[in-house]
Amino acid sequence: MGALRDRSESAPAEHDDGQAATLLAAIADGSEPALERFYRTYEGVVYTFALRRLGEPADAADVLNETMLEVWRGAGRFEQRARVRTWLLGIAHHKILDRMRRRGRRREDELDPAMPDDEAEPAWASIAAAQDAGRLRACLDRLSDAHREVVHLAFFEDLSYPEIARLVGCPEGTVKTRMFHARRALKRCLVEGPEAAPGGGSE
Amino acid sequence: MIEHESSIRDTSAGGHPDELLPWYANGTLEGEDRARVESHLAGCDRCRAEVEGLRELRAALKRGEAAEGPGELGRRRLRRTVAQERRRVRPRSLWRPALAAAAALVIAVETGLLVREATGPETYRPLQGAGPAEAVLQVRFAPEATEAQIRALLNEVGAYLVGGPGALGVYRLALEERGPDAVERAASRLRRREAIVREVRRQ
Repeated sequence: MGALRDRSESAPAEHDDGQAATLLAAIADGSEPALERFYRTYEGVVYTFALRRLGEPADAADVLNETMLEVWRGAGRFEQRARVRTWLLGIAHHKILDRMRRRGRRREDELDPAMPDDEAEPAWASIAAAQDAGRLRACLDRLSDAHREVVHLAFFEDLSYPEIARLVGCPEGTVKTRMFHARRALKRCLVEGPEAAPGGGSE
Repeated sequence: MIEHESSIRDTSAGGHPDELLPWYANGTLEGEDRARVESHLAGCDRCRAEVEGLRELRAALKRGEAAEGPGELGRRRLRRTVAQERRRVRPRSLWRPALAAAAALVIAVETGLLVREATGPETYRPLQGAGPAEAVLQVRFAPEATEAQIRALLNEVGAYLVGGPGALGVYRLALEERGPDAVERAASRLRRREAIVREVRRQ
């Protein structure tokens, strides 16, 4: 099928990505069935990302629809060197931020990432306890948005820190810093329980 | 957003490479970063335990984080959104370019169809590398049918174009739905629309 694409010098690393890139080319040509197939492939990726950050299924569904509309409009702007998944999550990232801005307020029960630096860092010992479900979820939900985002992208999507930096639009050092503080807040919450963690006030 | 850049210990001078460990745990660390972490881990129990904890966190997240999107509802909503978008924006040329993009496929189809016409009942099979989806129907449209009519009909039937037009004006369709009944159902629904569809054959 070499005639479909001539991108040998910048072939995407993943096979799935190759297929997705072909779909994007068809979408750019105006194929709605291709958009539908693209939607079926990536619905879960975008929806999960949005839901974990916005908390509301209805908001996540809106973001999903807006993101896919943006794919319809902008499929032709996809650059072959990028990974489809990272490109798509980048679009979703902006849609999520728009929505948060419209929503206005920050959550008030957010975990405080500003833990004193000399405080002994807890170990992960209690993750095993959290695995039976709710506690990890509760602690993740109480991270600040930027922290929850980096945890999601690193551990659910397995993105590298340069990829996350490009996607989010911040320096690589900031991604590492966010992850560093997210880990500490998460650990502390897992040890002490989400109820015990002191609420917000980091801004 | 407060970013506590300064509070990450400087690890460049041989301290624990804390800020890199999450990306070692998710398998995306490369080059110098990776070499540095690996040589450090060989002699550091603390960081090995940390990586272990991060891997557990990653596994727990992968188990619990995924959320199911709106599915069929979301697809219908997207179809409506795209239809609005099409009315808003000048119609794109959607038929020809989409097919041009599938040039390799079309050549295969034409060859196949010519052979088929010449030898009568011999079954036509798609050549290797059958493209994005398996064609199950061959259709000839009425010459006076408009692109909009054809598109609406295909959406309605859950069919999409995977090849054509062949030398004889035959298009190949694949179906969203699988199974032998689905093919028969789609074929009879297509046949009922005599104003648009001239002929339908199973692939």
